Amino acid sequence: MNFLILFEDFVQLLAVVPQTLLLAITIFILSILIGTVMALIQEYNVPVLKLIVVIVKLLLRGTPLIVLIFLMYYSLPDTVTFLSGLVGLDYNGTNIPPAIILIVAVSFTVASFQAETIRGSFLSINKGQIEAAQSLGYTPYQMFKKIIAPQALVEAIPEFSSSFLIVMKAISLGFMITVVDIFAEARLIATDNSYYVEAFFAAALMYWAISAITVTLSSKYEEYLHSRM
Amino acid sequence: MLEFKNLKLSFGNKKVLKGVDLNVNKGDVVTFIGPSGTGKTTILKCVNYLVEPNEGNMHLADMSVDFKKINKKDILSLRRKTAMVFQQFNLFKNKTVVENVMDAQIVVHNKSKSEAYEKSMELLDKVGMCDKENEYPSKLSGGQQQRVSIARALAVNPEIVLFDEPTSALDPELVNDVLSVIEKVAKTGVTILLVTHEMDFARKISNKVVFMENGYVVEEGSPEQIFENSQNERTKQFLSKFYLKEAVSAK
Repeated sequence: MNFLILFEDFVQLLAVVPQTLLLAITIFILSILIGTVMALIQEYNVPVLKLIVVIVKLLLRGTPLIVLIFLMYYSLPDTVTFLSGLVGLDYNGTNIPPAIILIVAVSFTVASFQAETIRGSFLSINKGQIEAAQSLGYTPYQMFKKIIAPQALVEAIPEFSSSFLIVMKAISLGFMITVVDIFAEARLIATDNSYYVEAFFAAALMYWAISAITVTLSSKYEEYLHSRM
Repeated sequence: MLEFKNLKLSFGNKKVLKGVDLNVNKGDVVTFIGPSGTGKTTILKCVNYLVEPNEGNMHLADMSVDFKKINKKDILSLRRKTAMVFQQFNLFKNKTVVENVMDAQIVVHNKSKSEAYEKSMELLDKVGMCDKENEYPSKLSGGQQQRVSIARALAVNPEIVLFDEPTSALDPELVNDVLSVIEKVAKTGVTILLVTHEMDFARKISNKVVFMENGYVVEEGSPEQIFENSQNERTKQFLSKFYLKEAVSAK
């Protein structure tokens, strides 16, 4: 192992960390939003939509992410062109940046797992508090915002933090459709200077650093929220 | 001020209320007694629609509802005229003592924060919980939590306060604290419906006692009438059993 090269590679990788994190955070937030909607639809037994959610979740959770990414990469541009044509817009779907395709594919896949976490955290809130809020005349929305969501968040944080790491790692599949993240950059560096071990070791170090920071921050935040309960 | 006519409710095949009529005047303290599982709590939960009666009519203050045709708006306004104190306290875990009392005032009744705070502290003072204003419920004893939940119920200026076995989940030595707070509340003239197994307390604070069994009101009347001069076999049997148990446990 050439430590000088390792160090150089590591520094070079730092340059793509911001865009990798930005992608990861975007996907993470979207997956929570979509997952919450899925969980609410299931919890409130919304007719028709509930069935759709169940089927979509089943499909997404059963499809390897790489298969979904390729499927979308090759089908989404035409689909978007067709749909925008239907509503009278002249948009060429082939202009969709690959990063968007990656965001859509990973967000929905992670959301289908996230939905279960979120549903579990809703269910962890005892029925008594819900009855109390109802008895005081809260609307379902007020109750969700003031009582259910803040408590569910505390329950869900450990799961959320590991799902963020899953997202971080899943993004590396973006390499297959030309999205450059930490892993993709490491590959490019390695092909360039032929020091493969150094490049991938530098990438691994970067991933470890990011996970260490994520886990520390999330457990601090969880502790903080627990002290306020 | 509160009137039920022909109130019926079943959970699945199990008929819980089989046609209850009831009349409550403003300022009444009405206590429901009777064996477990006879629908006492269920009646209370019909008032604020935490359970869904199958049929029957209700008048509450200026509202009348037919339970067969009740809509979401009616449900909300029923709930905004009433407040409930639960057996398990049910304080909001993510809020401090004072926030628990303030929240509904702000969220549901659009009061300003300072107004809500002032009223909350006044009520917390009444239930003797002022010094715990910034504690979270998990740090309080059951009796303290129940006193806070009484303050929370009073904070929304309800027409009726529903007490659902407020002392059943408490350690025996904490029961009296809570009972004395309820007694104070009763003296303010607010209308109260109370389900309890504390017979002596029921006798002391109510002006009307309702004996229920099997989904029916068996007998209702003043405490003297029910506890001393009941003409009803079932009432007498229930009360004698109850006092026998007391006598045995006292020994």
